[in-house]
Amino acid sequence: MDTQRYNQLISDLRSDYRPQREWGEGKGLLMVVGHFLVGIAGGAWLLGTLYGSAWTLVLAFVLGGLGGLVHLAFLGHPERAVGMMRHWRTSWVSRGFVGLSLFLLGGVLYLPGQFVALGAAGPALNLIGGVMAMLGALTIIGYMGFAYTASKAIPFWNSPLHPALYVAYALRGGIAALLIVGAVKGGVPAETLLKLWIGVTAVVGLFFIMELQGAATGGNVAAKQSVHEILNGRVSMVFYGGTLIVGLAVPALLLATSHAASAAVMALIGIASAAGDFFMKLSTVRAGVYLPLVIPARHHRRA
Amino acid sequence: MNVQSKIPTTAKEDKWIPSVCNICYGGCSMQAHRVDGTVIKIEGNPKSPIGGGKLCAKGLSGMMILYDPHRVNTPLRRTNPKKGMGVDPGWKPISWDEAMAEILPKLKKLHQEDPRQLVLQVTTTITPASLLFFAFGWAFGSPNMWVAGGGLHCGNGAHAAGGITHASWSVVPDFKHCNYALYFGASKGHGAGHAATPNITLAADARERGMRSVVVDPMCNPSAAKANEWVPIRVGTDAALALAMCNTLVNELDIVDREYLRDRTNAIYLVRPNGWHARDAQSGKPLVWDAAANQAVVYDAPGAKNAALEGTYQVNGEACRPSFDMMKEHLKKYSAEEGERISGIPAATIRRLSREFGEAARVGSTIVMDGHTLPYRPAAAIFFRGAQGHKNSMYNCFAIDLLNHIVGAADVVGGCLGFNPVCYGHPETKRPYYVPRKDKDGLMATGTWMLPHVPYPPADPRQPDSIGFIELFPLSHVSPLMASSDQKEWWSKFNLPYRPKILLNYGANSVMSVGNKEAASEALKEYEFIVSFDIFLNEFSDFADIILPDACYLEIFDPRPNFPMIFNHPAGPGEWGWPIRQPVSPLTHERKGARDVMLDIAYKLDLGPEINMAMNSYYNLDGPQMLDPKKTYTLPEVFDHELKHKFGPERGLEWFKEHGIITWPKKTEEVYWRTFLDVRIPIYHEYLMDLGERTGKLCAEGGMHFDPRYYGPLPEWLPCPSHEEKDASFDLYSFYYRDTIHVNGFTMENPWLDEIAQLDPFSYKIAINAETAKKKGLKDNDAVRLETPTGRHVEGRIKITEGIHPEGVGIAACAGHWTPHQPIAKGKGIFYNDLLEIDFEHTSPVNLNMDLCSKVRISRYEGPLG
Amino acid sequence: MRLGMVIDLKRCMACYGCQMSCKTEHGTPPGIFFARVLKREEGTYPSNRMIFLPVLCNHCEDAPCVDVCPTEASHYAEHGIVDIDHDKCVGCHSCMVACPYTNRYFRDEKQHYFGAAGPTPYEVARSDRHPEGVVMKCNFCRPRLAEGKLPACVDNCAALARTFGDLDDPNSAVSRLIKERGGFTLHPEAGTGPNVYYLAP
Ligand SMILES: Nc1nc2c(c(=O)[nH]1)N[C@H]1C(S)=C(S)[C@@H](COP(=O)(O)OP(=O)(O)OC[C@H]3O[C@@H](n4cnc5c(=O)[nH]c(N)nc54)[C@H](O)[C@@H]3O)O[C@H]1N2
Ligand SMILES: Nc1nc2c(c(=O)[nH]1)N[C@H]1C(S)=C(S)[C@@H](COP(=O)(O)OP(=O)(O)OC[C@H]3O[C@@H](n4cnc5c(=O)[nH]c(N)nc54)[C@H](O)[C@@H]3O)O[C@H]1N2
Ligand code: SF4
Ligand code: SF4
Ligand code: SF4
Ligand code: SF4
Ligand code: SF4
Ligand SMILES: [Mo]
Repeated sequence: MDTQRYNQLISDLRSDYRPQREWGEGKGLLMVVGHFLVGIAGGAWLLGTLYGSAWTLVLAFVLGGLGGLVHLAFLGHPERAVGMMRHWRTSWVSRGFVGLSLFLLGGVLYLPGQFVALGAAGPALNLIGGVMAMLGALTIIGYMGFAYTASKAIPFWNSPLHPALYVAYALRGGIAALLIVGAVKGGVPAETLLKLWIGVTAVVGLFFIMELQGAATGGNVAAKQSVHEILNGRVSMVFYGGTLIVGLAVPALLLATSHAASAAVMALIGIASAAGDFFMKLSTVRAGVYLPLVIPARHHRRA
Repeated sequence: MNVQSKIPTTAKEDKWIPSVCNICYGGCSMQAHRVDGTVIKIEGNPKSPIGGGKLCAKGLSGMMILYDPHRVNTPLRRTNPKKGMGVDPGWKPISWDEAMAEILPKLKKLHQEDPRQLVLQVTTTITPASLLFFAFGWAFGSPNMWVAGGGLHCGNGAHAAGGITHASWSVVPDFKHCNYALYFGASKGHGAGHAATPNITLAADARERGMRSVVVDPMCNPSAAKANEWVPIRVGTDAALALAMCNTLVNELDIVDREYLRDRTNAIYLVRPNGWHARDAQSGKPLVWDAAANQAVVYDAPGAKNAALEGTYQVNGEACRPSFDMMKEHLKKYSAEEGERISGIPAATIRRLSREFGEAARVGSTIVMDGHTLPYRPAAAIFFRGAQGHKNSMYNCFAIDLLNHIVGAADVVGGCLGFNPVCYGHPETKRPYYVPRKDKDGLMATGTWMLPHVPYPPADPRQPDSIGFIELFPLSHVSPLMASSDQKEWWSKFNLPYRPKILLNYGANSVMSVGNKEAASEALKEYEFIVSFDIFLNEFSDFADIILPDACYLEIFDPRPNFPMIFNHPAGPGEWGWPIRQPVSPLTHERKGARDVMLDIAYKLDLGPEINMAMNSYYNLDGPQMLDPKKTYTLPEVFDHELKHKFGPERGLEWFKEHGIITWPKKTEEVYWRTFLDVRIPIYHEYLMDLGERTGKLCAEGGMHFDPRYYGPLPEWLPCPSHEEKDASFDLYSFYYRDTIHVNGFTMENPWLDEIAQLDPFSYKIAINAETAKKKGLKDNDAVRLETPTGRHVEGRIKITEGIHPEGVGIAACAGHWTPHQPIAKGKGIFYNDLLEIDFEHTSPVNLNMDLCSKVRISRYEGPLG
Repeated sequence: MRLGMVIDLKRCMACYGCQMSCKTEHGTPPGIFFARVLKREEGTYPSNRMIFLPVLCNHCEDAPCVDVCPTEASHYAEHGIVDIDHDKCVGCHSCMVACPYTNRYFRDEKQHYFGAAGPTPYEVARSDRHPEGVVMKCNFCRPRLAEGKLPACVDNCAALARTFGDLDDPNSAVSRLIKERGGFTLHPEAGTGPNVYYLAP
């Protein structure tokens, strides 16, 4: 055997801190992309509803659908996906799947009514679809963080802040979606959104710093190793380039330099911040290292 | 339900076939599960004492050798006349008929010219199949047979010492009763070394029982890791440590088993001022001092019971002293402080270990076993490849073994045991039967041996007849001269009347297993014609003219895979087991068993009577089972004779094919034979002085440098060339060790074993001490070059570890293959032997063991690896 | 009955026999090991120690891999054995990142040990029956248990370091060993309730 993947696996199995590659590398990248799309979809649906932007809802639906497809593509056996509903009692992945299904189904029922008159069935469809989609949206916003937190093998993810972070990402994603729709179609309260964006971004930043700080100080060896991977290890390029520069510095610069919230700037801020979220997810996912089976005792050398 | 339970129940064939593993020479009993013609599992055979139903990881992996798609499947002939390392021979498949048409006339001509021009080379890995291969050499009339790196690395010293003092090929602690085991460079108990798998069970039991084990080794290898104490030693200095311990026992603690020394050794033999034994004028027997009668008597007189161990006595007008007294005096040179200076082990540790060992031996105590009151000495000092693989090979072994003899812990309950040197045979047939006996001096000659060439009494040194000069060095059994860089010089200086012309190889990869590849391949280039039986093409194959596709161990018969039992049959109390090896998978392609082919060749060369007689002698066949010199046999017929000879006419090959193994209980007199047999062993090696004189004289005639220091009667510590290196930039001692998961140089092609080795932190790396690495600015996994003073070098990545002596660099196995024909093996690990010189300077001048350590310097390496 | 294993680290000689016997029993594809032997170091020269740790699926009582599995492919089978139903598994990898013991492997595609040279007859017979796109792991050798045999790794351990039996039975060898020698489990803080115990070296 001498394929790159095989050699990678063998060297991973040897290392003290085996890097997590299931989600986030190779085909596993689809998992992060899927979560990214679905997260924005959830956030966009929420904010679209809040601000009454039908096009944002459409965007949310499209992204959700795409996310679903990407998720399916990630699976080893997509044809068995329906079976994923089985274990919703304990499995966040199962709940997420149910949530996404609800969301998409709800969207199918709800969205047509926003653009064409549906006649007698309209209100019922609107109500049922709306409730289903909203429930689904809330589930998909919520489940992702928990899916990671439930991963006991990866101590870095196993943090209570993780779900909160994912909710915040979803909101940022939703804002981004609204900004983009606003840039194209107009009719969204840009100033408020930008303020909201700043607020949520501050929260994301704070949570993220808290998570890193918590892992670096209170976490076990594997969590610490993950922090190391992010700050100056395997994934630091993604983190600094993607999360900090694209996701934070670029929008901040745009905000600082452009006077009015022009449509183009708004869209750019939205896209950059969404991209930043993607990289942030990617870096936390990739920074995951498995808990070692033998906790390496540090080699203390007597002076 | 999990798919793993979905095993087809519709199989037409589903059977378990008992046989014997041979991935290493351990020969553990196995059984193969064959379903519809495919071997789907290999397990241990629980009916056998050889493994007891367990196999090591290597043994389990046999299918990946059997079914390796890179195996040789047809005879091959070279099309490129140019020979050289890495030069593609341009192999072209030919038929067996074509191959034979080429080989037979060449052998015939050679036989008529001078049969000594034929050289047989075999691998140790498939011992004892390879020993039968030698029968062809005996029939042909060539003295030139060797086992490539085998023997030169692993045993010219240890086997000679084991033979002289334990009548066995090797030694092991009596795991069932020992309380304190000292290992000097020997893997025993983790899947390496002799009887590798049975020893795992025994060592684990001993560990649980509370046997204390102390491992003296430059590296914390698995046996050291599982020991109670690891004593890191400077490479190649074992004799210094052992002698300092002997000194502490004898001269400081006075822990000495005087009764044992008096009755079982030559410690009482009187030594004249000139170092030779005082002898009885008439019988020539050595004299001892009967302290009760106050007179000298021959060693086997009743008065020997009162013989003095110490003092000075006037015999024939000379002041004579018992050998023990001489030894006692001699040991004073080796104070614990001197031991520390040489070995780097603190004097306090040396004293502590000596005391622990001495006290554990409980000198004077007895135990009742099976109705016999026997000495109980639950302490053992054992040694193997690591300690003996140096220029000072012979003394290293003698010095370590002396510890056992001082406290009387040799082949008694709890002590250091030889591997089964006594066998009274199966209860029904009394076969096999072998018992050590005494020579004219009362000293022990082994009851059986692996080769015709026994270590004691040594043959008379004589003008060499073989290309390896083993006649000149009778304590050796193979010689590096077969592949050395100085071979031609010596052949001409000693007027060897012929030159080797044809080489028949059975598996060995001598380009890699001996020493540096240049010397080995230069020697190979000189042959006019090389035929190699192998299951793979390897680095050696580049020099062959014809390759013959051998059957592997899962495709052949062997009637005695564990005989002689002094070699790979588990030692100590328990059962005897005599299994056979049989094909568990039919031969496919054009493969043929090498020994079947050689038998056929012998008959075709009209060597029928000779080969039949050679086999008679090899198998000890007599009576009705003796092979008729005039007949022709197939190998299975021969094997049938051998089995019937040993176990009666009703238990021939057919019986064994079905039953796989015959077992019977071991007797106490077999296991703890020392007390039951009237033989002595030397602690004073007068015969070495004798050998030294005679060998020295012959050497002088041939202009060969001879160092008499190696032929003294009492062991010394003498440095290897690496200890005398003047250039301080060469500051590390490199050495190698057995990898648990690999066997010598041939299992890297097995992808299951390779996979585990890749997962192992050490297998494919150069181990270096953490502090040393830090001083040199090296980080884990850095690529480095190791370079010797003569400019030889190897490259690889380092594994930084706390588990190695700061002056050592340790490399596993014999890896670093470069042949394209073994794609799994290629480029994995490090080819340690490329650092080794092959010449007389780096060879024990007593037993011709090679010096396996070399002084190196380490530097960062930027070039490509593997 | 709750099946469990005790691995005596005092007896284990790090021979890799378990790792290999498991591979040959199940024909696990390249890179997939239901049993492994880990080697790690502790301390400093010359009082350093080598740690040998044979690992396998712990058949946890509160198995996170079962919890997170959306399809119920990962499930509790008889006597506490945690197994995977390969007909249900969608290959979502969730269980892999949930197992605190890294004992699960994803088989993405058919691979053979000799690569391009193709499968050996052994692999055709034993490895190719494993499906692709699913997660695999130790099943305590359920088929062997059904035949009344011990798990392959236990049966072959030359050091007799592995003992298998009923943890619910206080008189079983496993229960007694755990009690007498103070058996412990790996990562107890993960709260998974492993059924594989270790005895101190
Ligand atoms: N660096 C280093 N050098 C060493 C050693 C080491 O551990 N490390 N060990 C030393 C020792 S002690 C020894 S004994 C020697 C061993 O040295 P060798 O005897 O050369 O043994 P291997 O390197 O195992 O190579 C075995 C050869 O036998 C072939 N073979 C295996 N099975 C069969 C078979 O059934 N039939 C035939 N015809 N061929 C077969 C393999 O293809 C391979 O070519 O090496 C010595 N050299
Ligand atoms: N797994 C496995 N088993 C094998 C084999 C194999 O290749 N692999 N080969 C078989 C063969 S052919 C042989 S000959 C036997 C050999 O079996 P062993 O004698 O056990 O051979 P090694 O492991 O090479 O050497 C034993 C130890 O000596 C140490 N050593 C090296 N130099 C020195 C030194 O100067 N002094 C001391 N005290 N120790 C030193 C090494 O670090 C090693 O731990 O094993 C047989 N069994
Ligand atoms: S010790 Fe040697 S003979 Fe025994 S199973 Fe292992 S490889 Fe085979
Ligand atoms: S087979 Fe037994 S002794 Fe060998 S590594 Fe596994 S548990 Fe340890
Ligand atoms: S060890 Fe891992 S795979 Fe096995 S039951 Fe526990 S969590 Fe599941
Ligand atoms: S990969 Fe298979 S077994 Fe694992 S959680 Fe997903 S569906 Fe369950
Ligand atoms: S119990 Fe069976 S499946 Fe599990 S590790 Fe042992 S041999 Fe492998
Ligand atoms: Mo050897």
